[in-house]
Amino acid sequence: MEIPYTVTARPDTGLWNAKIGVWLFLASEVMLFGGLFSSYIFLRLGADYHWPVHVLNVPWGFINTLVLIGSSVTVVMAWASLKMRKWGAYKVYMAITIACALAFLWIKKNEYTDKVHHIAVKTKDGTIIEGHFPDHGKHWINFDNVTSIKLSTRESDPEYFLESCTTPSPKFTTPAGKTVSLDDAGLASIREEAGKEPSIDLKAATPLTFKVNNSPFPPFNTIRSYNDSMLSFKDGTVINGKLTDYKMTLQVTRVDVRDVADRSKSQAWTLMGAGWKEAFEHHEHQKLEHAKEHNPEADPYKNPDFVRHALTMEVHTAKPDPSHHAPEGVGELLQSFKDTLFSHAEHNGPVITLDPKKDIAFWSNWLPKWNTYFAIYFTLTGLHGLHVLAGAIVLTWFLVVDTKRFKNDPEHLANRVETGGLFWHFVDLVWIFLFPLLYLL
Amino acid sequence: MSAAATTHDDHHAHGGDHAHDHHEPSFLYKYIFSTDHKVIGVQYGIAGLLFLLFGFFLMMVMRWTIAYPGQPMPGLELVASLFGEWGTYQLEKWAPGGVVSPDLYNMFGAMHGTIMVFMGIVPLGFAAFGNFVMPLQIGAIDMAFPKLNAWSFWLFFIGGAMMMLSFFLPTGAAQTGWTNYSPLATTTHYIVKNTFMTGQTWWLLAMVFVISSSLLGSVNFITTLINLRAKGLTFMRLPFFCWAMLVTSFLLLLAFPPLEVAAILQVVDRVFGSSVFLPTGLVAGTNHFDISGGGNPLLYQHLFWFLAHPEVYVLILPAFAIISDIIPVNARRPLWGHKLMIYAALTLGFLSFIVWAHHMYLTGMGTMMSTYFQITTVMISVPSVILLTCLMISLWGGSIRFNSQMLFASAFLPMFGIGGLTGLPLAFAFIDLHLHDTYYVIGHFHYVVAPGTIFALFAGVYHWFPKITGRYMNDTLGKLHFWPSLIFMNVIFGPMLFQGIAGFHRRWYDGGAMAFKNTTQDYLWSNELISFGAWGLALAQIFFIVNVWISIKGGKKITSDNPWDATTLEWATPTPPPHGNFTFEPVVYRGPYEYNPPGTGREFIPSWEEPAGTPAPAPTEAKSHH
Amino acid sequence: MGHDNSHDDVSSHVKTYLKIGVTLIVFTVITVAISFIDFGGNNNMIVGMAVATFKASLVCLIFMHLNHERPLIYKVLVFTVVLAIVLFTLFISAHGDPLKDEGFEAPAVPVKTATAHH
Repeated sequence: MEIPYTVTARPDTGLWNAKIGVWLFLASEVMLFGGLFSSYIFLRLGADYHWPVHVLNVPWGFINTLVLIGSSVTVVMAWASLKMRKWGAYKVYMAITIACALAFLWIKKNEYTDKVHHIAVKTKDGTIIEGHFPDHGKHWINFDNVTSIKLSTRESDPEYFLESCTTPSPKFTTPAGKTVSLDDAGLASIREEAGKEPSIDLKAATPLTFKVNNSPFPPFNTIRSYNDSMLSFKDGTVINGKLTDYKMTLQVTRVDVRDVADRSKSQAWTLMGAGWKEAFEHHEHQKLEHAKEHNPEADPYKNPDFVRHALTMEVHTAKPDPSHHAPEGVGELLQSFKDTLFSHAEHNGPVITLDPKKDIAFWSNWLPKWNTYFAIYFTLTGLHGLHVLAGAIVLTWFLVVDTKRFKNDPEHLANRVETGGLFWHFVDLVWIFLFPLLYLL
Repeated sequence: MSAAATTHDDHHAHGGDHAHDHHEPSFLYKYIFSTDHKVIGVQYGIAGLLFLLFGFFLMMVMRWTIAYPGQPMPGLELVASLFGEWGTYQLEKWAPGGVVSPDLYNMFGAMHGTIMVFMGIVPLGFAAFGNFVMPLQIGAIDMAFPKLNAWSFWLFFIGGAMMMLSFFLPTGAAQTGWTNYSPLATTTHYIVKNTFMTGQTWWLLAMVFVISSSLLGSVNFITTLINLRAKGLTFMRLPFFCWAMLVTSFLLLLAFPPLEVAAILQVVDRVFGSSVFLPTGLVAGTNHFDISGGGNPLLYQHLFWFLAHPEVYVLILPAFAIISDIIPVNARRPLWGHKLMIYAALTLGFLSFIVWAHHMYLTGMGTMMSTYFQITTVMISVPSVILLTCLMISLWGGSIRFNSQMLFASAFLPMFGIGGLTGLPLAFAFIDLHLHDTYYVIGHFHYVVAPGTIFALFAGVYHWFPKITGRYMNDTLGKLHFWPSLIFMNVIFGPMLFQGIAGFHRRWYDGGAMAFKNTTQDYLWSNELISFGAWGLALAQIFFIVNVWISIKGGKKITSDNPWDATTLEWATPTPPPHGNFTFEPVVYRGPYEYNPPGTGREFIPSWEEPAGTPAPAPTEAKSHH
Repeated sequence: MGHDNSHDDVSSHVKTYLKIGVTLIVFTVITVAISFIDFGGNNNMIVGMAVATFKASLVCLIFMHLNHERPLIYKVLVFTVVLAIVLFTLFISAHGDPLKDEGFEAPAVPVKTATAHH
């Protein structure tokens, strides 16, 4: 009793089961990515901010496209080799395919890491300043003189709270007058005393200092809100003390003044210094000259492409460089690719200090939180990456585990590789659309 | 092979058909992690029925607070006390003093819808009946991908378990309606230490599991229907049951992915703080969220309803499938307009994809879009009416056997009719402005799915129970189940239509007794009536539960493998069907509904019965039939 | 493939696969290059998507063998593609509303003249 048509095709439909299955699965995948692409369109059409264009690392995206196209060729060659019963060639082609998949994922991982370290700040007047925390480190909020604490007893684990406390082995007094430290025994006695209450008021024996990681990435952020005299954590715990001189240090790579009403008065220039204002004016002027040369009639400020080039400035190229414009010609394009791939020019920008309360309207790293473009970018490429990973696992299975089948039932293995290959081509096909949509257009 | 097949009580006697069963699988693999489509079908069936019961319990709690707002619910404290200190703590949190809190009401409301639709009816109608009956009806030994089939069930199980466990999270389960609209759904349980451990997020993650399960299931169904049909079973000889399952599979296959997108994007919004569904300048109460904005709540609704409208037909088509088998068998008449019904189902399937935004007339979507969706919505009523009319005409001139399943099947027709016709006014934007989100809508779609689909599911249980267990269900208990159910269903959903027109909003926790008293005071009595209807309906179900329970071991044994004298292939198997289903290679010689065929003098001719004088078909591959 | 692929049949395809691979790479370079040229308005998007669609069709037709597949697969795919297009177009048109079109609210002709026709 075997399921029929697992290897040979059913005569009237001309298809074996898995082939129908994989095409149906791909049909549902078309709708999955169709839904995601529709979301992309919907978000882009409805965006009330400047949709980022050419902000990702084009050379790495380009290389990844080549990697995937290459793997698409090798996987179909692996299948053809199996059909011709060339076992050795099959193994080589399949190994290359899997290597390509891993290379793709490795490059993607590097791109993601870059974005985690890329900080974007929107100042109160709408200027967007991008850069890095100078030491690629974290961003802290410091509290001094913390004596009273409302500790939430709902959550089981105040570890984050103790990690934020920089005073070694703090001791607290409970309302009942017991002195406890927040180890397991201390916590148990605190819970007992709190009973059903959601929180308990603790007094610190000596004033404590706190250093809380203010990650813009919600899963790692424990802060609900703060002001000059208190900070409340997301679980309901509140510390009362004094916010010490709270500043954000940023090494600037890029300035965007498209949304500023009067760009000569942008907050960027107060923060970075008047020299950069001049540099920017020079930069804008250069772009304007260039545009006028091409088309003296039109008003370039009605062209979003021009506005994007003229009103944003790459700062990390260190000096107001008049030659900085969109690369033209093959040589220049290649040079620019090489720079983006291997240079670390972003460490050259000026370092500024912002007052989060006075200067910043919103800030985040280049992660989904920053805007809907990055949200859909990470969702699309993340899901695509999962597909690459899944494909790599399946193909590795065929190559490593399914070896006996080549001797016993080579046609079945060829069918399996064809099925896996169809999926793999689909993954490539999605990337063919993703690359221009996210990196180029 | 003779049509009057005798019972095969001990299928192990047919050793020859089990040449490949070298060893008996252990209990765990035979009944729990089985890859046999029948076991998986029964697993889905049991899970689906339990979920339906649970979803109904949630509703009974809600009906209390709608009828008697602010009064402690009897029995709630007793139930809580069964769980000791933990129970008392939960009671204080969610229903202090036994009075159902608004949060609990919201939670139960959201989960009632979710459980009934995604955990109850779809698994029961599509997955359970489809899995058990469809491969038998097409003469297949199993589904095309048995392992995948088991995976479907277990993914569904994980999703269902997550839904259930989410009640026990500190935040409780999801509280924002079964539609889970952003921005409310995104920002509920939002500012917490770990957004992963919240009911709202678990709802989304559970949905991703359930959706993946549906996708695998539909791939399996379609492949099986295409490639594993028995010899001679051409597409046009397929029973309507199988056609309905095929269309349903396509709906699940192609409509569910956009909902998966919606769920994934909402998870991204909730966990990573993005704003895909959150507009600029969003403020909730006194909360100013630390978000970028720039997203669009309408996007969520589009993605959601792109699934959820076809989903309505995923709920309905299996019901039509079941009814289309039961009516011909019990009316002893062929299904009228078999071909017409097939084309109607295909049209219905296609149209169901392009009507979704009639759920969104009030969102401020453009007038052009609104006009377009009104047109397509009115169009889709045509194939639905064709299906219903064909079933009614099939009754004409029949000698009807009013056993339990036929009673449910006959009641399905007018009940679904009411459900469908009350939907027509809602298709028009200007009427929908008044009726949107009122009890009228609730009444409308519950008529479609409760006395509609659920009655069909009951009918299916009574009909195929003998094939599953080898015993009949008790017909007296069946009638005791049917009549109160029919009456109470109408007591519940009939008044809702009038309440809706009177302006009762569907989400009122107090049933309209407090905040909107001026509007509602003349009709508040109907809240009580409906609630008593719900509790009465619950009592009626006891007959069904008892009936199933005692009939498994104590029901009357069947004396034939084809107890209803039916013509489709599932009745050609031994009872219960063994692993591999058939004791002979099934070949189909005629259409599926040969009841009282004129000129033959026969009462019915099974589709697998060899015509007299036909030479035995060569035992080769299935014939090509282009 | 499901067809009776003799080995020669497959080996004759091998060269095609390589050629298509090279074509895809060439068009990837073209995609990147033209993205730096401003065609004005939405034209960049249209050109970019046209190139991507061309590349995608090559993958579908040659690598995924859709140039010679069984009718059933085409039926499934045509249905899917139609639905995907429905998804795109309706999502895009959800942004349009004739009420917001310029000149829609103000009648094109004075009201008096308009009523005179009745």
